[in-house]
Amino acid sequence: MISLEAVSKTYKVGYKKNRVLDNISFTFPHLKSVGILGANGAGKSTLIRIIGGAEKPDSGRVIRTSRLSWPMGYSGGFQANLTGRENARFVARIYGADFRIVEKNTIEFSELGKYFDQPLASYSAGMRSRFAMAVSYALDFEYYLVDEALETGDARLKEKFRQVFKERRQTSSVILVSHNETTIRRNCDCAAVLNDGKLHYFEKLDDAFLMYRKILFTETAA
Amino acid sequence: MTTTTNSFKQESALTIQCRVVFALIMREVKSRYGRRQLGFLWALLEPMLFIGLFIGLFYLMGRNSQSGIPTPLFFVTGFTPFFLFKDLYPQVATCAKGANTLLMFPQVSRTDIILSSVTLTSLLSLAVMCIFLGICYAAGYEFQMQRTLQVLGALTLLILLATGVGLVVGAFTIKYEFVASLAGAFLGRPLFMSSGLFFTADMVPATARDYLLYNPILHCIELLRSAMFESFESRYVDLPYVVYFVLILNAFGLMLLGVFDRQRR
Repeated sequence: MISLEAVSKTYKVGYKKNRVLDNISFTFPHLKSVGILGANGAGKSTLIRIIGGAEKPDSGRVIRTSRLSWPMGYSGGFQANLTGRENARFVARIYGADFRIVEKNTIEFSELGKYFDQPLASYSAGMRSRFAMAVSYALDFEYYLVDEALETGDARLKEKFRQVFKERRQTSSVILVSHNETTIRRNCDCAAVLNDGKLHYFEKLDDAFLMYRKILFTETAA
Repeated sequence: MTTTTNSFKQESALTIQCRVVFALIMREVKSRYGRRQLGFLWALLEPMLFIGLFIGLFYLMGRNSQSGIPTPLFFVTGFTPFFLFKDLYPQVATCAKGANTLLMFPQVSRTDIILSSVTLTSLLSLAVMCIFLGICYAAGYEFQMQRTLQVLGALTLLILLATGVGLVVGAFTIKYEFVASLAGAFLGRPLFMSSGLFFTADMVPATARDYLLYNPILHCIELLRSAMFESFESRYVDLPYVVYFVLILNAFGLMLLGVFDRQRR
């Protein structure tokens, strides 16, 4: 289970306090793909970072009893002077997974070939994100955290990853943040809107979009 | 597409933490010492340079250590523990301060990162010390380690001391950037001069000694030498002082980290 209990987070911007998350309690539904919509600066990334444990909330707590991924496609946690294989092995270790399986899956998904045994520093930006994506799929998580960019690589790879993601949605839960309706519509079953520090949950995607548009519209009008 | 799936088991928090710390250590070993074997050599080289320099200096001056401990052994037991402190506390400070990208992994916590860094650096320093002691032994400076447990105790205190200093410096640095350089200036040369690397507490004049004995590293080194050599017994080690110093420093460091952690951006 992944659950937020009365989570608050405030940032200081100059002298003004900006309450990004205001007493949010929410349990992410099991085996469902939840989209979180929010305008730029609404606190989507903060929310993801708090769910994933990269940042601590000011108050409240996050309960993680399920195997949770790091934000997908994010390659910042990998060590540039280590090879793809060594990085994959590290990730397998912290998750307590069999690293031979993780290595095998990563090679298969990433199609990096001999580059798998080269330091990440020698990878192109595309290869690096391909590697990050492949490792996230190589371990199978109960919950996938996704921050915007699901799409990476050329058309064929994009299709391949899309296919894997579709498969995973059947057996895992997904938490995806985006400002983009199309991304949410393509990948999610239900959605929540993050606005003014509050999270509004909707069973139906269309209801979420309705509220989201209203927010965007009034913001531009104001 | 076929994927071989992993089987995961439910585990306790402690198991997970051990595994994470182990993974972090392996990762650090590979990235620090993996590709260039020089990495480990460098860890040997720096203290070796200093020890060699001082042995040479004393030899030229026609002095011995005057402590009852053979000169080379005297310097090895002074410099290697000091370099352990000097290397460790900035590492802990960096771990405590940094917006570490490893935190992106849900089960990796700041504590894990600090723990792995402390473990790795300590083990490395211990290895370096053993190598130097081995060289001395091979060169004919025989000694029998009298109280092994006390040796480990002295080193543990030193490691905890470095950890505490690192926590305090790191926590302050989150808010006040200049603290790191301030610490560098105040903890570098002064501690080098006052920690008993090339003297024992017994050798300094009483008035100076009273001040020097505020330095817990001096106590640790005296304790270590007393434990190692039959021919040397320090009268100035104040064990409760060091233990309280270490405990209070670590508690203060953790508290500060708790306070400033929220103000991290």
